[in-house]
Amino acid sequence: MQYKSIKKDDWDKALEQLILSHTIIAGTGDGSGHDYELLKSSGIERIVYNKPKPATPLKSFFLPVRENVTSPAGTEKPRIIIGVPNCDIEALSILDDIYLDKDFTDTLYRERRENTLLISTDCFGTQEHCHCLSYDIKPYSERNADLAIISLDSKIIFRVLSQKGEEFISKIEGIGTLSDDSVLKAIEQEHRLTESKLNESNRDLPGYKQTGELVSGSKKEIWEKYSSHCVSCGACTTICPTCTCFLLIDKPGFEKVKQMDACQYPGFERVAGGEDALFELPHRFRNRYMCKYVWKPQKFKSLACTGCGRCIEACIGKISKNELFRELAG
Amino acid sequence: MTDNKNIYRPIKAKLIEVIEESPLIKTFVLVPENGFKFDTGQFIELSVDSIGEAPFTPSSSPLITEQLEVTVMKTGYVTEYMHNLKPGVFMGIRGPFGRGYPVERFFGKEVLILGGGCGLAPIRSLLYALEAVKDKLEKVILCYGSKTPADCIYKPLFDRLNKTPKFEAYRSVDKADSEWNESVGVATVLLDKVKVNLKNSIAVVCGPPIMMKFGTLKLLEMGYKDSEIYLSMEKNMSCGLGKCGHCMMGEFFVCKDGPVFTYDEIKHNPDIWK
Repeated sequence: MQYKSIKKDDWDKALEQLILSHTIIAGTGDGSGHDYELLKSSGIERIVYNKPKPATPLKSFFLPVRENVTSPAGTEKPRIIIGVPNCDIEALSILDDIYLDKDFTDTLYRERRENTLLISTDCFGTQEHCHCLSYDIKPYSERNADLAIISLDSKIIFRVLSQKGEEFISKIEGIGTLSDDSVLKAIEQEHRLTESKLNESNRDLPGYKQTGELVSGSKKEIWEKYSSHCVSCGACTTICPTCTCFLLIDKPGFEKVKQMDACQYPGFERVAGGEDALFELPHRFRNRYMCKYVWKPQKFKSLACTGCGRCIEACIGKISKNELFRELAG
Repeated sequence: MTDNKNIYRPIKAKLIEVIEESPLIKTFVLVPENGFKFDTGQFIELSVDSIGEAPFTPSSSPLITEQLEVTVMKTGYVTEYMHNLKPGVFMGIRGPFGRGYPVERFFGKEVLILGGGCGLAPIRSLLYALEAVKDKLEKVILCYGSKTPADCIYKPLFDRLNKTPKFEAYRSVDKADSEWNESVGVATVLLDKVKVNLKNSIAVVCGPPIMMKFGTLKLLEMGYKDSEIYLSMEKNMSCGLGKCGHCMMGEFFVCKDGPVFTYDEIKHNPDIWK
């Protein structure tokens, strides 16, 4: 794996220049939390490095909540997204499976993917519900992104992950090959520390393959119990980096507006004749788990849950899928 | 045909005729811009401008590409608008989508078709396709059920089929009137009356969910193998592209992996009849 480094000041100056020609989205915030935001010169100092996930997932930059898909807005400036944790990077794999499907490629999605340079960031430390490692996803990217960025002391370190990333980084003034082994060792140590924290906090959490078996073999009582606090608000699907179900809304001139939808909303599967396979709440609630841990793994190679834990944070009914799995594994 | 540059954009089709099939069912005759090809059993998304779109399997012959017939039951918001349309307007079509009937797999065999209600629409298209290859088929038996004689659609089709060599067509109604002289009872009662050669027969089922379930159970009881029963599944196919998630049935996107499945392919999922 190739590493490059640049002084933090030089990187910040490079960003000031890049803002002129690119749309830059960066994980930005303060001590209390951070989220993806459109970067302005004044916000460069507020970019968050080495921290676990922004509050919302990456998906909406490729699949907007609502957009006219028959009359797209037109060419967008080249885009850089900085500070994407590996749970969001890995989530893109399943989005690619669906939207870059060779039979029906969503050209808007493909153009956005091609137009975006993805700079992941390593997670040094964890948040309360992080459990990527339980699903064999590391807290740092080694694939699928173009670069991974790490802030260490007064330096910015890049791990080069793609040709596109290499070409981008080679043009940045002040960039050099990282030759200091002690920096790499320090990064590795942070990785091990984060992994050990994840292992410790998720010690009794079943792994991804086991979750599928547990959900398939479950009895209805567990879904009745956990869904009793569900109000079908769809927050879990909205915040999930891999949930991408949508509605097509018709507009004059045979135009179509695509809007994100959620299998947790009542009526999601209702047909015109009135039949609704997901009418009952416990059944609808279970559907999301079946989709993520049983059906999508059967259909695609990629995981449909990357262990980001956002659904647990977003649930107003305080439903924890990890508690559910612990009980199932009981 | 689906525009590969923009998979969400419909093509326009001019509505040239509206045929009343029953009090609740109409057939729309459409002339799509630049023609339209589909395999029998595949479906389209048909839209009313600015109102909405819904999935239908064309009821016309797949051998005809210059025009298309779609039979629509008035049952919801979009279909109510459709039923009020007059010839001359343009409708939108996306598709064709999914996997239709594997007609070649029926060669050399007897085809038993069980249909109910508006499920006869896809079946009529299949019958046209089968008529075109009847030399390669052993026999085609149609068993069709509707609620009342008035709900029975495509009336001339039955006379024509019964005059066509190798074809037999039977009808049943749940509730007869004084003029009805054919079978009475749900569609599956017809299965007791037909003679089939189980060693060389496949079955096709298309109709309302309740009929799909009990029709399949009856065919299994008769001795059809799971892999010999072809089901046209009805789900909320919305995008048609295997993306929007509304038609997921277990690991399958019904719109892309179906809508035609063998019972063998989907029987492991206890929710298929929901």
